Amino acid sequence: MSASENISTPAVARPTPSIVRHLPYFAAAAVAVFAAATMTFDGYVLNILMQATTFAVAVFGLTIVLGLCGQINLAQAAFFGFGAYVVGLGTTDYQMNFWICLVAGSLLALAAGALLGMSTLKLGGHYLAMVTISFQQIVTLIMINAIWLTKGPDGVSRIGRPSLLQSQQAFLAFCVAALAIIGYLVWHLPDTRLGRAMRAVRDNELAAGVVGIDVVRTKIAAFALSALLGGMGGGLFAGGFAYVSPDQFSFAESIVFLTMALLGGVASPIGAVIGTGLLILIPEWLRFLKSVPGLYLAIYGLSVILIIRFMPDGIWGFVTAGYDRLRPRQRIAIDAPPLQLSPATVGGDIVLDVSQLSKHFGGLKAVDEVDMTVKRGGVHALIGPNGSGKTTTLNVLSGLYNATAGKVMLDGTDVTTMAPHLRAAAGLGRTFQNIRLFRSMTALENVVIGAERPGNTLVGKGDAVALNQRAMSALNFVGLGPRANELISSFSYGHQRLIEIARALAANPTLLLLDEPAAGLNSSEKLELHELLKRIAAQGLTILIIDHDMTLVSEAAQHITVLNFGRRIADGESMAVLRHPDVVSAYLGTE
Amino acid sequence: MKLTRRDFAAGLAVGVAAPYVIGSAARAQGATIKIGMVLPVTGSAAEQGKFALNGAKLALETVNKAGGVLGKQLELVTEDDQTTNPGVVLAFSKLAAQSEIVAFLGSIRSTQVHAMAPDVLKLGKPMAIGGTDPNLTKMGNKWLFRFRPNDSYSGSVIADYGVNTLGKKKWAVLHSTDAFGTAGGKALTEGLSKLGVTPVIDQGYSNQSQDFTPVVLAIKQSGADVLGSYFTFENDLGIFARQLRQLGVTIPWVGSPSIVGVSSIRLAGATLHGTYGVADYAEDSSETAKAYGKAYRDAYKLAPDNQSAWTHDAINVLAKAINTAKSTDPEKMREAILAIRKYPGAEGEYNFDANGDGLHGYNIVKNEKGNIVFDKHIEAAQPT
Amino acid sequence: MDQALQLLFTGIGIGSVYALVALGFVLIFRATNVVNFAQGEFSMVAAFLMVVFAVDLALPYWLSFILALGGMALLGAIFNLGVYYPLRHRTFLPVIIATIGASILMANGMLAIYGPAPQVLEGWFETPGIQLGPVYLDSQYLLIIAVTLALVVFNYWFFEHTMIGKKLQATSQDKEMASLLGISVSAMIMITFIYSAVLGGLAGILVAPILFVSIQMGATIALKAFAATIIGGFGDVTGAIIGGVALGIIETFGAAYVSVPYKDAFAFMVLILFLVFRPQGIFGERVAEKA
Repeated sequence: MSASENISTPAVARPTPSIVRHLPYFAAAAVAVFAAATMTFDGYVLNILMQATTFAVAVFGLTIVLGLCGQINLAQAAFFGFGAYVVGLGTTDYQMNFWICLVAGSLLALAAGALLGMSTLKLGGHYLAMVTISFQQIVTLIMINAIWLTKGPDGVSRIGRPSLLQSQQAFLAFCVAALAIIGYLVWHLPDTRLGRAMRAVRDNELAAGVVGIDVVRTKIAAFALSALLGGMGGGLFAGGFAYVSPDQFSFAESIVFLTMALLGGVASPIGAVIGTGLLILIPEWLRFLKSVPGLYLAIYGLSVILIIRFMPDGIWGFVTAGYDRLRPRQRIAIDAPPLQLSPATVGGDIVLDVSQLSKHFGGLKAVDEVDMTVKRGGVHALIGPNGSGKTTTLNVLSGLYNATAGKVMLDGTDVTTMAPHLRAAAGLGRTFQNIRLFRSMTALENVVIGAERPGNTLVGKGDAVALNQRAMSALNFVGLGPRANELISSFSYGHQRLIEIARALAANPTLLLLDEPAAGLNSSEKLELHELLKRIAAQGLTILIIDHDMTLVSEAAQHITVLNFGRRIADGESMAVLRHPDVVSAYLGTE
Repeated sequence: MKLTRRDFAAGLAVGVAAPYVIGSAARAQGATIKIGMVLPVTGSAAEQGKFALNGAKLALETVNKAGGVLGKQLELVTEDDQTTNPGVVLAFSKLAAQSEIVAFLGSIRSTQVHAMAPDVLKLGKPMAIGGTDPNLTKMGNKWLFRFRPNDSYSGSVIADYGVNTLGKKKWAVLHSTDAFGTAGGKALTEGLSKLGVTPVIDQGYSNQSQDFTPVVLAIKQSGADVLGSYFTFENDLGIFARQLRQLGVTIPWVGSPSIVGVSSIRLAGATLHGTYGVADYAEDSSETAKAYGKAYRDAYKLAPDNQSAWTHDAINVLAKAINTAKSTDPEKMREAILAIRKYPGAEGEYNFDANGDGLHGYNIVKNEKGNIVFDKHIEAAQPT
Repeated sequence: MDQALQLLFTGIGIGSVYALVALGFVLIFRATNVVNFAQGEFSMVAAFLMVVFAVDLALPYWLSFILALGGMALLGAIFNLGVYYPLRHRTFLPVIIATIGASILMANGMLAIYGPAPQVLEGWFETPGIQLGPVYLDSQYLLIIAVTLALVVFNYWFFEHTMIGKKLQATSQDKEMASLLGISVSAMIMITFIYSAVLGGLAGILVAPILFVSIQMGATIALKAFAATIIGGFGDVTGAIIGGVALGIIETFGAAYVSVPYKDAFAFMVLILFLVFRPQGIFGERVAEKA
């Protein structure tokens, strides 16, 4: 991941990374480094600062995995320990260079994080919580019991520092510098392609998949990056304290890391720094309560509950919430050409060829041996009464469900067993009946993610300027260009629909699946939608639409397939199908 | 009650600021000589921490009643080490930052002393320790002074008693896998090998085990006729003792000091009757020990044990050393401590050697129906 | 062989303790979709309550038992109101963290109130145990196993054959549907927390005579009970019990035949194997999110 990728992105609401514009940041960082290097501290203050600085690096990892990607990691102390022990054992027992050990420790943590992620990130949620706890416990047991390797509970002392930074204070200054640089990178990660993918996965995993994001890979990347920062923080910690032992890397410490991230605010590295600082200082301050054993940790536990209850976005989130409301969103107009759609034409006349498609849930045949061909360049409707299997069919087509049997050919490619993001790459775009947008992002960011679809040939090499232009074109196309920088929550239901369509259009798909786009729209919005469909079809993009609105369907679609009880009961030219006796009875029967 | 986020934020701000206000008010202090003490107030050894503080306070009273040191009162400044190694490092660094502290009481846990040792060396002021890992005083750290006999002595004393007094040759050695247990197990094995005995089974276990059935069965199967043990936590000892007896193992058992600790006796009850323990503190081992036991019982209504006896002795010895040196200069204090010979403490007779070890022998005591009875004192022939 | 039998008995005994705590996890998880990280502390608090009533106040054992469990019911209610209920509309993550906070609060609050000294609690029976051939059966373990079996039966009856049990089932399966049917979802969740706290407390009281009553007792048991829950299949009552017992046996045999110091690692190894190869557990069904 590189932060420079986005250097010249104009017009996104989030401030754009630009080394020059962020000069004040670097100036402040330089002052902090200078202060750390020159001020006189007593040993206690030095230790506290060292602990806060190195912990903050590890907490940045949680900012990524938890804040950006929405995945839990209860083993950050174990990764921290990896870095610390590699530096500890490397510089003492093996007499290796500090820097080599630091890199090796970070990479070991990265590898462990990636492996752990690969094995379980498909599961997510509580399983991930459990697996990380187990991993943490095993690492702790090994640290304690594998005395031949780790020296056991005695720990490793007299850990070396680099020859240039022999004094603890010089080393602290270096750690502060490292913290500033890593913080800068983490700060700008959300605006990179990977960062956007992580946010998309956090906001809506299913939608992320169908717009072409490899959800599992993104999660693994987030997890591995988090572990990497954990390892790095640990390596610096070992150098700073010159002593490590297993109880510094226990499950309790993982909880402390997590609490630090949440307390400060998981959305921003600034929150991470605040949380880390406070959680290191608060227990120190509360030591005056020490006359009653347990009292201050009890207060600590209570504070965790209260913070979660009253400051869901952490302290930094609390502080910035007010500021964000007052601050006018920047609106830099992007000159965007009219939206151009040029769907791929590889597979001849037929864009989508579905044969004998079935999806069974246990004994229920939700979709039963359905055949359907969608011709290029038109609007094809899939209709049927409630529970007839329309949405299930769409979900099988876009890869959210695996087909029980049958075959799906998209533009000449067999996509039957592909994951959603691969189908997106193959040219499939879709919207959802219950809108699935990335809710923490602006309209433009949502659509940029669509434009980023692998295989989109209309954005050149995918640089920021091209992506923004493409996204803006798509938003203009649905009439929402002027509001591109607003957050999703400020849009009406109907407009959110349009943003979802724009997101799909920006990807320049070969086939667009629309799942009940008219649901919940008022009559004038429906008319606009109808117009929009016409304009899309006019550019040669094939649409497969599901809807209940017979007026919309009969006017927009040239071809209709009808499902009932999971089976195809009619297929053909619109007017003929709607007059088909089976279709009439299927609908009358349900009304 | 309606608590808004804003109220909460305000409350948090006050909470964060309060310690500064309180702290600055309490900082004006008179002319005393300060001794810093790290001890567990929270965490798994919080109970032992309380005992340690009791012992130290008792000695503090005595010293101050007798006129203090160098004409000033002696004052104890404590810090919680949370029973963890990072906790002890932080606690010590906090004390070390207070330049008016002249000497320290460190931990009874060897692993914590290991953690602090580099910082103690850097600071260069004497620290009394109770950790019994033999290596602690052999690492070239001249500022550590031990107020308990180290494990190389306990190992050889357990071996000596089992082989020579009880006449047993088939040994089962059981120890915790933490630093204390591992070092102890090794010392016992070495002590045995000097007497020409190799244990039939040498078993480690990890702390906070909930069940010892596999361990007991292994001991049973090995055919051992005597058991030597190093337990760190009394909980574990209690569970093990119960299961040992339940599964019908009745061989003589000589344990490290924890077997005669107050908590063990209370927790394990009858299952420990008839066992032997090495004890650095035994109430009947000397007149000083007896007097200390009485004072301790009077003050705290608790049975005295080694957790409190060593801190008691440490305060007394430090006070004596400062008075002898007529100075709180670290080097002079160090020389005064090392010069101490035949000083009668509650733990035994202190004769500091060049390494800083004050005691070189152990008492063997027997648990007779819950009463700890002094059996004999074994002075290790030569420091190893 | 004799040895294996003895190990088996101990394994089942200690496993039943995990099972009891795991049951509490499962019930709360089914009702709220949240893992309660403070479940282990329920056991610890109950054991201390038992010490207060039976030892300090010297009340009869049965009365202390009832009072302690009553206290747990109250604690369960407070826990729900203070920790879960205010966060019920948030994602699982803040709730997990709040329960972690609650667990720190309970453990250290108890430390502040009762001090760090581990306490002794006598067992239910006078006789410590019986020798059955080569195997020694600890009476407290026998009691624990019996209670676990009884709870299996009770839970089956309660959830399948009582109205309130059926309402609880309905709530855990589909909250919206349940509230449409006129079931008070928040009352059902309240009952779940109370029942889980009582179950956790029961485990704590039963195991206290064996492991002693200490501040740390909750955390150690809870971690194993977690693992048991995953092995059994999250959200399955029978699974939790079988998972717990299986874990107890694996651990005991692993310690006897492989390594004593790594005893705790076996539980987590098995857990990770399950998560990788059969994440739905022995009994669980895999559920996918609907589009």
